[in-house]
Amino acid sequence: MPAPYLALGLTGPHLVELTSSAALLARWDALPAAFTVLGVERVDGSPPAARTLDSSAVGAALAGQTTRGRFLIVASPQRDHPYNLARRVASLGHLSRGRSGLLVGVRDAYAAPDRATAARARDAARAVRALEQSWPHESIIGDRETGILVRSNEIVHVDIGGEFPIAGPLTVPEPPTGASVIAWSGSADAPDAVDLVIGEGGAVAVAVLGERPPRGTAGVLLRAEAEHSVDDVLTAAERLLAGDFRPLAAGPLRAALGLAAPPPRANGRAAFPVPQPHPSL
Amino acid sequence: MTDRRTGHVILGINALVLGYLPAAWQSPLLGKDSFVDPAYWETIGRTAERGTLDVVFLADAPVLGDPAHDANPIRLEPTVTWGHVAAATQRIGLVATASTTFNDPFELAERLLSWDHLSGGRAGWNIVTTRGADAARNFGLPDVPLRDDRYDRAAEFVDVVRALWDSAATGADIRHHGDLFQLEGRLRVPPSRQGRPVLLQAGGSPKGRELAGRVAEGVFAAELTKDKAIEHYRLVKRLARGNGRSPDDVKILPGLLLSLGSTEEEARRRNDELHDAGPAAYSVQWLSQSIGYDASKLELDEPFPEEVLAAPADPQTFQGSMGFRESIVAQIRRTNPTVREYLRQTRSTGSGHAGFVGTPEQLADHIEDWFHSGAIDGFNLQPDVLADGLAVIADELVPILRRRGLYRHEYQTDTLRGHFRAAAATPDSA
Repeated sequence: MPAPYLALGLTGPHLVELTSSAALLARWDALPAAFTVLGVERVDGSPPAARTLDSSAVGAALAGQTTRGRFLIVASPQRDHPYNLARRVASLGHLSRGRSGLLVGVRDAYAAPDRATAARARDAARAVRALEQSWPHESIIGDRETGILVRSNEIVHVDIGGEFPIAGPLTVPEPPTGASVIAWSGSADAPDAVDLVIGEGGAVAVAVLGERPPRGTAGVLLRAEAEHSVDDVLTAAERLLAGDFRPLAAGPLRAALGLAAPPPRANGRAAFPVPQPHPSL
Repeated sequence: MTDRRTGHVILGINALVLGYLPAAWQSPLLGKDSFVDPAYWETIGRTAERGTLDVVFLADAPVLGDPAHDANPIRLEPTVTWGHVAAATQRIGLVATASTTFNDPFELAERLLSWDHLSGGRAGWNIVTTRGADAARNFGLPDVPLRDDRYDRAAEFVDVVRALWDSAATGADIRHHGDLFQLEGRLRVPPSRQGRPVLLQAGGSPKGRELAGRVAEGVFAAELTKDKAIEHYRLVKRLARGNGRSPDDVKILPGLLLSLGSTEEEARRRNDELHDAGPAAYSVQWLSQSIGYDASKLELDEPFPEEVLAAPADPQTFQGSMGFRESIVAQIRRTNPTVREYLRQTRSTGSGHAGFVGTPEQLADHIEDWFHSGAIDGFNLQPDVLADGLAVIADELVPILRRRGLYRHEYQTDTLRGHFRAAAATPDSA
């Protein structure tokens, strides 16, 4: 069995610290880690920390300020609608050039109370996957001869029911690197759309920084605690990646983790007619 | 030009993805998927910043229109797109449009304040209520609520968001028990350099203007004529005063569709060629949506029938913008064109938003005239093709405005609210 890869789990105060320092960002970007979870305590059952930032906002800043660091944004459908979430996930897939993914949780520790069930989180994960696949990237042709930019008849409605009925399609094409990696916190109730389970019997075990990491999983997520600074986390990660852990080369998240592309969705209802070359007024 | 104003205009760019004309994607400067290319968006931010522009806007709706011939309906999510651009720039303000009908106030408040913090206080939120059944069906609804109900929700939504932004500074939970939202909690996001995001409002319905007068710090207006623009400018400033605010606290920024060239003839040729390279149905569809009448049923060589110009059957269910409709009808009544004449005319004069085709010098004259007439605080410029149109604004228009004392030579403020506050005061005539 190959040595495990290393992932980092940062909490709210770490996100505030990391994004306010160009030096820390440069160190983070240089780390050959698998990925970093942006706000792991948001969905792992922990109480909220004193400070945090929205995970997708941090993802957008990292996409713009770094070139190789990979990350998972963290979200729960407690107050976030999967259509809006899918738009941010797919947009980050483009903006980060495939370095981003999503960790779905049932409950958001920071959100004002609202409905939060495993069924809603499962359906949200499925909806994000379906929406990202609703518009195949190959349909973008940019043919100046016919004036056709997109073979838009290849874009499909998703027509999903369940907790979140959504017609679709998404407002953005699938990223050229394919549908984003979707991770789930804990193996209980994980839906079929999930690529990766973090914690509780999943492919990625969780180890608190300073404790001895477990053996026998594909990856280990090093979880930072409140008393750790970002410098502590990066120093520990640099040491582990120089030792027993397997450094991963730069590149898109799905490829770095060796995850297969998700199966394409069954043909849906075409969202638009076959485009025709057009006459002018 | 009665009232010579001193100070600077505000210059914004409404990005409209690749530019407002459907054929923008055919520019040789662009790749086939520039609309999702991070380098494309970074270049827009950097070019705008090179011109020391105040702000870039991104329109939005949570629904996909047919992108067959046009990149305009393709929509990356604005808060992450501008969050990415913020990371590649230092001073330009960034405004993201987000719907109060299809978002949650807690989630949106947290996300906007986070982006504002991360951008160093350069974020703004353009408050819209979103039209159309297609958007509603992405959120499990058969159709959008009626216009007044959407604006009632918008008003309470904005109150909750503002209270939550306050909670981030005070650390105290809010307890909101209103007609539409029941919510207790607080944000744990650090306040931004400008405190919290700037609020902007788009839309000309009475309830929209009411919201603008009460809370907006900027209004993205739709004006075709200077007289109407002056009237609306005074109306919103008056509404702000009525809410105990200074008229300087709300900046009026109409959109202006642009085709620029080094001569007027070159600009017209560019505009015509871009129209000819795009779908003809574009103009007809746009008009249909805007006036609430299927324009493909109209005789192209007859004037508009009176029943088409009269008010829409039911303002509550009319899907278009009331502000756009009003300005279009006023324009048609003024010249009584045939439908074909109007559609061709609007190529260079705009439809809903005013259009301008000419040289940077002529555009500077136009901006100066509307500014001194008390019709605007600035313009939200909408180039036909952003890839080269934005560079002409930054490198040619801005230097002319600087020479005339209408624009700054370098940034003197570094937050979006700072940029707005540094602009010219409201003239006494308003």
